Amino acid sequence: MKNIEKYKNAFVEALEIEEDEVGEGLVLGETSEWDSLGHMILISTMEEAFDVSLDAEWMSEFDSYQSGLKLLDRLGVDFVNE
Amino acid sequence: MTFISIEFLLFFAVIVFTYYAIPHRWRWVLLLAASYSFYASLSGYFVFLLLTSTAFSYVTGRLIEKQETKKQKKKVMLMGICVLLFLLGWFKYFNFVNDSVRAISAYLNWNYAIPYQEIILPIAISFYTFQAVSYLVDIYRGKLKAERHYGYFSIYFAFFPQLVAGPIERAKKLLPQFKTEQTLKYENLSYGMKRIAWGFFKKTLIADRLAPIVASVYDNPDATGSQIVLATILFSVQLYADFSALSDIAIGCARMLGIKLTENFKQPHFATSIGDFWNRWHITFSTWLRDYIFVPLCKGKKKRSEIYVAIIITFLISGIWHGAAWSFVLWGLIHGFYRVFGDHTKQARGKMASFTYLDRNPTFHKWVKIAITFLLVCFSRVFFRSDSVTAAFTNAKLFLTPSSWSPSGIIEAFEIFSLLDLAIFAFFFIVMQLFHHVERKNASTWNWLSQRPVFARYAVYVLIVVSVLVFGATGQGFVYGGF
Repeated sequence: MKNIEKYKNAFVEALEIEEDEVGEGLVLGETSEWDSLGHMILISTMEEAFDVSLDAEWMSEFDSYQSGLKLLDRLGVDFVNE
Repeated sequence: MTFISIEFLLFFAVIVFTYYAIPHRWRWVLLLAASYSFYASLSGYFVFLLLTSTAFSYVTGRLIEKQETKKQKKKVMLMGICVLLFLLGWFKYFNFVNDSVRAISAYLNWNYAIPYQEIILPIAISFYTFQAVSYLVDIYRGKLKAERHYGYFSIYFAFFPQLVAGPIERAKKLLPQFKTEQTLKYENLSYGMKRIAWGFFKKTLIADRLAPIVASVYDNPDATGSQIVLATILFSVQLYADFSALSDIAIGCARMLGIKLTENFKQPHFATSIGDFWNRWHITFSTWLRDYIFVPLCKGKKKRSEIYVAIIITFLISGIWHGAAWSFVLWGLIHGFYRVFGDHTKQARGKMASFTYLDRNPTFHKWVKIAITFLLVCFSRVFFRSDSVTAAFTNAKLFLTPSSWSPSGIIEAFEIFSLLDLAIFAFFFIVMQLFHHVERKNASTWNWLSQRPVFARYAVYVLIVVSVLVFGATGQGFVYGGF
């Protein structure tokens, strides 16, 4: 499975939302599923999916679909040349 | 020497003058001497405990860094945290545990021989221990390098403006500021003085004026339900004014030395939910709990129910941190319950708002949420304020009794004020609310004020200073100073 698919699946699994709801417009706090507690579940799911560790500082940075991609990219997850 | 004293203001004036008069390379010596003198004036011989904790944390930090593997680093970090928590536990919780075990033993008819011990709680131990723990964990996580300069490290541990009751700062934020040469800036002096004056205003005109009135109800075993309701609401105002004043003075003093501390309050009584309340109340403590307790507890958790357990544990620790008594434990658990219940009923509450058309008027809906959150916070504070668990339950029952809320009963309960006290309190409470109103509209009341004509600006400054001098009440310690 490609990393971008793993990334989208993590949202679906953690936030219990439909696949077509996962996209660039997804922002923390703007849907009832992605609230502060859902965020903790999403972080755990991302950590397991990509074998990374996200601390509190990075967790605050991860506040949208897009910023999550950038953050994981910085941690060595390749979404382009895989 | 407490913050609210002429001695402190004179002491601080001398420190500020000397700070800018001497070269930067000697300023750490001045700050350290000032910090230890200030602490010794408050806590006497416990300054040696502060010195020991500082030296221990310094060495442990260096040791963590020297370890080669993550596992070894973790071992040293945990050892260091255990020692720091042992000291905190010994001084703060020994008698709490001892009394609890004795009570259980008596109930079970067991023989328990350890008597009550006379242990004095060293001032600020909860605050500097938390700063030390964050320092060690940040080094272990690789977020911070262990500090080499013992002098600067010691100031981080004992910086006198924030030593007594925070804000709880991270080394990463504070240490670089101590090392940077701070130049004398008018805006820093001006802003700092205004924050200090505002702290004096809240402490002497709101908190210390309310303290004896609240105590007259909570110390009275025959207090009526309406008196408990009124006194609890007033206690919430007192606690906010008291603790935020302490932060204002700390932030103001530090700013006069060119150091920026973290804001600790964002009008918490205007929170729209309990989660929002904890983003606005004692912010540096909440973020500390989030980063060093809640987030590690949530690692690997993929169910809401598991996150709920982490929330309850975090709030339990928050309660225990506040005080060595079961009433504080219950207070923490109540907030944990609020948070979990709030999350669990989120959808149902959304439907309810829609059913009652509340959500069609967002402004009104927001104020309903603010009122409910404030009352929930007030209820929890019955446990915070009561002297024992038995008293807390009695008062909580009175608080929840519908007849306690009858308008006539509440009006009658205002008899706990003398007419003069009520007039003075009402006037200064309105001034504080106006300040908050401007802050909600403009982000910073001080910036807004600086854009007003000189006459209006100075009228406000004179009002603050003259009010403190004429009507200010003193003699009460800070509530959070005892933690």
